Amino acid sequence: MKKFLLAVILSLGTVALADSHGGTIKIGINLELSGRFAAIGQQTLMGIQAAHAQRPEVAGMKVELVVCDNETSREGSVACARRFVDEGVIGVLGAISTSMSIPAAEILQDAGIIMISTSSTNPQTTQIGDYIFRMAYTDDFQGKLAAAYVVNDLGAKKIAVFRQVDDDYSFGLAGFFDETAKKLGAQTVVQDFTAGTVDFTAQLNNIRAFKPDVIYYSGFCAEGAPFMKQLREQGFQQAVIGADAIDDKQCPEGAGKAFDGVVFTGFATPDLIPDPEAKKRAEAFKEFFFQTFKDAKPGDFNGFVLAGADAYNVLVEAIARAGSTDRKKVRDALASLENFPGVSGDVTYKGTDGTPKDRTIGFFKYEVMSPDNWKKTALFGKSTAEVE
Amino acid sequence: MRVPITTRGTLFVVLAVFFLLVGWRIQALPDYTLARVVQDFLNALTLGSLYALIALGYTMVYGIIRLINFAHGEIFMLGAYFAFFAMVLTPLPLALALLTTLLLGGTALLVTRSLFNLESPKKTAGLAFPLLVGIFVLLGFRQLGWIEALFLSMIATAVSGVLLELVAYRPLRGAPRESMLITAIAASFFLQNMGQLVFGPYVKGFNPETVLNRPLSFRIGPEEVYFTGVLLVVPLITGLLLLLLNFFVTRTRLGKAMRATAQDAEVAQMMGVNVHQVIALTFFIGSTLAAAAGVMYAIRFGQIHPLMGLLPGIKAFAAAVIGGIGSLPGAVLGGLLLGFIEIYVVSLFPTLSAYKDVFAFVLLILILLFRPSGLIGEDLTEKV
Repeated sequence: MKKFLLAVILSLGTVALADSHGGTIKIGINLELSGRFAAIGQQTLMGIQAAHAQRPEVAGMKVELVVCDNETSREGSVACARRFVDEGVIGVLGAISTSMSIPAAEILQDAGIIMISTSSTNPQTTQIGDYIFRMAYTDDFQGKLAAAYVVNDLGAKKIAVFRQVDDDYSFGLAGFFDETAKKLGAQTVVQDFTAGTVDFTAQLNNIRAFKPDVIYYSGFCAEGAPFMKQLREQGFQQAVIGADAIDDKQCPEGAGKAFDGVVFTGFATPDLIPDPEAKKRAEAFKEFFFQTFKDAKPGDFNGFVLAGADAYNVLVEAIARAGSTDRKKVRDALASLENFPGVSGDVTYKGTDGTPKDRTIGFFKYEVMSPDNWKKTALFGKSTAEVE
Repeated sequence: MRVPITTRGTLFVVLAVFFLLVGWRIQALPDYTLARVVQDFLNALTLGSLYALIALGYTMVYGIIRLINFAHGEIFMLGAYFAFFAMVLTPLPLALALLTTLLLGGTALLVTRSLFNLESPKKTAGLAFPLLVGIFVLLGFRQLGWIEALFLSMIATAVSGVLLELVAYRPLRGAPRESMLITAIAASFFLQNMGQLVFGPYVKGFNPETVLNRPLSFRIGPEEVYFTGVLLVVPLITGLLLLLLNFFVTRTRLGKAMRATAQDAEVAQMMGVNVHQVIALTFFIGSTLAAAAGVMYAIRFGQIHPLMGLLPGIKAFAAAVIGGIGSLPGAVLGGLLLGFIEIYVVSLFPTLSAYKDVFAFVLLILILLFRPSGLIGEDLTEKV
């Protein structure tokens, strides 16, 4: 019912744009456009649409985007995947999050349809099969880098870790972080919560006696905003580190000043990309993005936009290289892609499980004056190639 | 042989289990100091009083028409959004303020006139003047504080609740109860989706500077105990509303009509009670309560979104059932109990904190097994 209303409205626009006869190629888009991750979903979609506007045709055919909203639910993601199997799309972009990507990947792998998750970071996602790719780094890198930053750079001895146990991404990431932090000699205590939790007072009381130096939060914004608010209300002044799930305007807009000073790891923005050539491409794309979406706010352009754009770019490039719409051939072309000049940096799938080699992870800091007046400052970038 | 289990007996068992667990925790963990015991208790009280406030409205509607109003959570969401817009959009340009006043005030006038038997022209005018002028003044001239926004939101939400009843439930009067139940679920879905379309699917921050979210603290020995204004305000409001509702239901003519409808709608109608009016009135009051709860809840947790009513709605339903659905003090008791379980499961068994809802619903099942009519609900007494 929910699905129907939104999906119809969203797909009307794209269907109207494309020619339905003969020369079109359909690409499915399975994104979290409503529900908890709606803001990230919209940003990713804008990235895909901007990339589509830049390259609307491939191999002499028009590319048609078929948008499906999975409502940030596993069932919704499965329904989208089934729909794409029926419609016979050549490939699917999305989902954003690990929890929605894995169920869709299982269906698309069986059907032999290429899937490129834009920002799922759990290592399992691409291990489902040879048709499953991603545009992001994986959480073992993200967790390790964050833990190294917290223990080595911030000098933390005691760390409280908050994880959302019913989410594959949050649970997995907290595990990688916890493991590395312990290896580096820090003491940790882990607190659990579930999706939709808004009251964290009991968990916060549990870590009071532990007296942590730093707090690591591996969840999302729907829970993160009330979490930060209560953390500060309950007298905790410690530094808080999060991950790419809080690279979402719903966090500073939801929690306001309570989110000031929170540091997070995320998909690198153009200014953090080390390769000067790639940086130039990213800056040019940024300009094109704001020309395409005149109403977009500065905060709307972030790593998710780049991930969405490059997911589209590599798929279209693979179709061009295969020179046909045969899915097997396109998959093979994608899997042998080497140093493709993407807007998020060079993309290489050759010799990997579908995770691009050498991605850059950025460290960012929120500066929040008020819910409407905030910005993210890029601190530094680290390449996944540097991590052991 | 069936052993009768009294309300007092059940409460005694629940309290005994609670104190045993807390005692065990205190002696098992050396760092569970007095300050932390008090902290947990205050946290539980804060959360529980919010649940109690939502459950009040839930139980009220059930008490009169035996309808589990699944859309109550969505009415609660509407209340939060109305207050949000009242605070963010004011002061409105005067023309727009006038239009909104006429729309909102006009409907509110129509609704209240028929609900409270104010049909005579003199009474109507006496109501119309302060209502319309009041709304206009509020909307047109300055940014509203949360109390004025709450007041406006209560009016707007109450009107929405009555309209919902008119459109979704009244046509089914006399139909089997299952039809009503399914309509209620449909209404709930409709409002969720409409919310996503109209308000946008995003989470919006709602952090006005109010007494509700002012951080407060006091000392116990070397340690600090933290709480917010919610702890002071919400139990007070819940208690006040409970007293007011009790007075209304037991001491006024309309309240008497309500109790009559609750006992037997058909017979009440034969005795001259306007059943439609009484039921609409129930929705009016229930929605006002939902709006109050929605605004407090939104300010407490600092955010609103179109699906925010879903979980609190289910929890309030559980609270109402635990307390004895239809019973006003029962709803408050159930809400408090649920708040205490949620906090203490996390506090006593940190590794099981993901399952706190499981504990809450296991308790629901246990209580219903031993006392099918809830903690306070009696099978024979009338329920309002």
